[in-house]
Amino acid sequence: MIGNLLGKLQLLAYIHAQMEENPEPQDHSVSDTMPMYQLKPICGSDIKIDLPACMYKLPNIHAQQGSGCAEHALQVIPYRTVTALRKQLTMLYVTVASNLSLHLSDERKSLTGEQSQCYVRAALGGFHPTLLSLINSQNGDVDPALKALEARQDEILRKLYDLKAAVDGLAKTVTTPDADLDATTLPQSPTGSPFTGTADLDALLGKDVGALRDIVVNANPANPPFSLLVLHGLLCRRYRVLSSVYVHSSVTSVPPQLLSCLGQPPADSYTRDRFQLGFTLIWKDVPTLQMKFSTPSMCPIEGEANVARFLFRLLGAEPRDPVAATRADCWVDVGIQLAEGSAKERAGAVRALNGALSCSPWLLGSELSLADIVCACSLLWAGQADAAPANVKRWLQACRNLGHFDCVYTLLQ
Amino acid sequence: MTKEDVKGAAEEEQAQSKKALKKQQKEAEKQAKKAEKQAKMATEQQATDEDDFAKDRYGVSAMVQSQERLGRTLIRVQDLTPEKANQLVWVRARMHTIRAKGKQCFLVLRQQQFNVQALVAVGDRASKQMVKFAANITKESIVDVEAVVQTVEQKIETCTQHDVELHVERIFVISQADARLPLQLEDAVRPDVGVEEEGRATVNQDTRLDNRVIDLRTTTSQAIFRLQSGVCQLFRDTLLQKGFVEIQTPKIISAASEGGANVFTVSYFKTSAYLAQSPQLYKQMCICADFDKVFCIGPGKGRHPLQHHAPPTCGFWELSHFAGRHLLGRLPSCTIRELCIAQVTVHRSSWPDSLESVQEDGGLERPSAVFRAEDSNTHRHLTEFVGLDIEMAFNYHYHEVLDSITDTMVEIFKGLMDRFQTEIQTVCKQYHSEPFKFLEPTLRLEYQEGVAMLRAAGVEMGDEEDLSTPNEKLLGRLVKEKYDTDFYVLDKYPLEVRPFYTMPDPHNPKYSNSYDMFMRGEEILSGAQRVHDAQLLTERASHHGIDLEKIKAYIDSFRYGAPPHAGGGIGLERVTMLYLGLHNIRQTSMFPRDPKRLTP
Repeated sequence: MIGNLLGKLQLLAYIHAQMEENPEPQDHSVSDTMPMYQLKPICGSDIKIDLPACMYKLPNIHAQQGSGCAEHALQVIPYRTVTALRKQLTMLYVTVASNLSLHLSDERKSLTGEQSQCYVRAALGGFHPTLLSLINSQNGDVDPALKALEARQDEILRKLYDLKAAVDGLAKTVTTPDADLDATTLPQSPTGSPFTGTADLDALLGKDVGALRDIVVNANPANPPFSLLVLHGLLCRRYRVLSSVYVHSSVTSVPPQLLSCLGQPPADSYTRDRFQLGFTLIWKDVPTLQMKFSTPSMCPIEGEANVARFLFRLLGAEPRDPVAATRADCWVDVGIQLAEGSAKERAGAVRALNGALSCSPWLLGSELSLADIVCACSLLWAGQADAAPANVKRWLQACRNLGHFDCVYTLLQ
Repeated sequence: MTKEDVKGAAEEEQAQSKKALKKQQKEAEKQAKKAEKQAKMATEQQATDEDDFAKDRYGVSAMVQSQERLGRTLIRVQDLTPEKANQLVWVRARMHTIRAKGKQCFLVLRQQQFNVQALVAVGDRASKQMVKFAANITKESIVDVEAVVQTVEQKIETCTQHDVELHVERIFVISQADARLPLQLEDAVRPDVGVEEEGRATVNQDTRLDNRVIDLRTTTSQAIFRLQSGVCQLFRDTLLQKGFVEIQTPKIISAASEGGANVFTVSYFKTSAYLAQSPQLYKQMCICADFDKVFCIGPGKGRHPLQHHAPPTCGFWELSHFAGRHLLGRLPSCTIRELCIAQVTVHRSSWPDSLESVQEDGGLERPSAVFRAEDSNTHRHLTEFVGLDIEMAFNYHYHEVLDSITDTMVEIFKGLMDRFQTEIQTVCKQYHSEPFKFLEPTLRLEYQEGVAMLRAAGVEMGDEEDLSTPNEKLLGRLVKEKYDTDFYVLDKYPLEVRPFYTMPDPHNPKYSNSYDMFMRGEEILSGAQRVHDAQLLTERASHHGIDLEKIKAYIDSFRYGAPPHAGGGIGLERVTMLYLGLHNIRQTSMFPRDPKRLTP
């Protein structure tokens, strides 16, 4: 509160100093008997201030004319306003002085008025000397506009304090562990019926700039990414996807079934701008699978499981509930183990799968999810499908019956 | 004169005579020494002559005037491998370097891209005089050498045939070279990088081009031009396999009226004629004549430098030449009239970078502004180049043609990768670059996508604005980052920036059925579906403000049933330059022609 007023004071002091520094003789026809000053504009009137768009915009609390000192500083100050300002300056100084004395007197109830005046003078020692004299001469008689401003400020401060108290209270309730709250009995929010959730492509992939949003996947033909093929199929059902397969010059030859693994291209694939999403699969000599989307703003994503997670998010069927999401991620990691781990790790993973599948038809409950896709594909890639325990076999058959995995089975033959 | 002066003069005389005496003495000494030396040498000579047992195993052969037909088989240097160890072979090659060291002389013999080390050592087959003779053979002379192939334990790094060495038994000079060469081949092959540190010289381009005969002998040049020949051959083979017919189009064309601002004129009997700059019209006429798929390989002409200057005011995109007619895009009608009178023809691919920068400011008032002699020397333009042009009729969609062209390009790249690896590696030694990468089938992006990518990278441009050269290069880099390919097609250019004979897009009037192909971010081909309907052609021409009278014959050729067709053309030198990652087109043109160069 005081700081604000002091700030305003300093501003006005500066303006006053400017006025003193640049006096220009003017026509004496103006009613005021004081010598005429023409204040050179401190800044030109045609300054366009380009406000950054990313900052917060608060409504201007100094909206009223006459008490908006901040606004005034940037305008060409005509002469009449100068005099008015000078008057206000003096008033302000007086107000500050009186307020200070009031505040001081609030805190130090023992001080006499005179002592507080001394304090005030000391505090205002840096200000313009002529105005300091005003402090003693003029007392009370405060400009009503300033008073209103003060009152508004007080109001705002009071509201702020209230808010702070409320937030503190909330923080306390959140951070303190509630002894009665049992996390394990939190209701498992359903993941929703598969793949009909709304995912805003714009939110996930960035604003649509009128051009095809192309996801580029670089894969090694020795290591075809089965889960991505399944996810591609799912994406095609949800969006209009332009899929294309390319062979990079670093690879000499690719078996023909890999060239057609994304299925037949739609008849109008030559009109790229009619599609919502592009899926470009490039068979290239890369050590690990790599995905590139928007090279200036995104770094490439490596690893089949990570790309699978990205694509699954586009389907909008990711579980919102953090617990379910974590479990899904765990199962995806198990899937990676199945594909890349040692024999022992693989055996352990298969056992874990078996255990989980004994109580539910799918890994995460009653619906197909990313975990199922990744684990099934890893199992098929590792060739362990036939040697799997009963539950796993049943689950694989269920996956197959859904029809999403047909592309994978054609590649396996 | 005073006594002192006299004394001084006398002294001077004395001094002079003393000096003269001294001089004479010195000279006499010199003469004596010389005589002594000569006498010594003579005696030595006699002595050595008597000892030379290898006299008939070396020497300068008589000039080969086809005196007799020897049945001798000469082995190629590239075939000198450890398999031929201990065999006695004859080799004809050039002397690349000579290093004499006492009783031994090391030679490097070079044949085209390959070189091998040879050794002449004093022994039972070679005498001291023979070694001396070998050491004194001038560089670049052609020699016939009979030698035994020996394997070496330590690889000879400086030679391409690094596991064998020739032990010379007989050496004859077939064709001697001048002692003073205008440039040294080792300098010509030295890579530019790190030259200042080592303090060794390289040869600058003008010297190379002035002495092209020697410069072309370097291993790098040999490799470049063999690869270029490969490009041409693969182009022809691929298209012939696809059922194309090769045609040859006329290069001397008539003029409708006098003038001649920007074309190369030739005097033709009683009048003058002009040199065609592109075979566009004739390709299209062949399609209308039912040849269906044609291609031609032949010289194309670039711009002619002019003397008149004027600041440019409007932008060009592509100008193509027609026999006696001028088809120009995007020029105000007054300029076109002027150009029509002046018979201006310019080929798009032969524009200097200065024009690109000029396009940013404004346009062209008179096309001559661009052709200031001092500004036309750019790294990618020649006044004469070899153009490989394709034109093809299609059934329903111009992408049939586009796929055909991109297939051809991919076949060329694959062929180069498979069959010319040696050449590519040789060039890489001097001019290092990343290997050329491409996708199959070729990546095809639309113009809007390209603009979106550029905008995402911070470039501001309008939707229908043409791509400037720096933007093209930036787009090339962005595409390389995302798709890892150096070759791609940009389809559906805006209609405004293309010539009037380009077919507009049926669904979006702002765009056209035209495409550009880029290699390493630089444009190599500009093509489109052509307007094959006389009515639409007339409309488009009027829209561009072209005088219909001048192009009447062109429009008439479509009146008698023309199939829908499309095509495009590439420049051989530019494709080679960009495939190898070189930076100046003169390196891939054997005898380049530009505004400043007419010889050799």
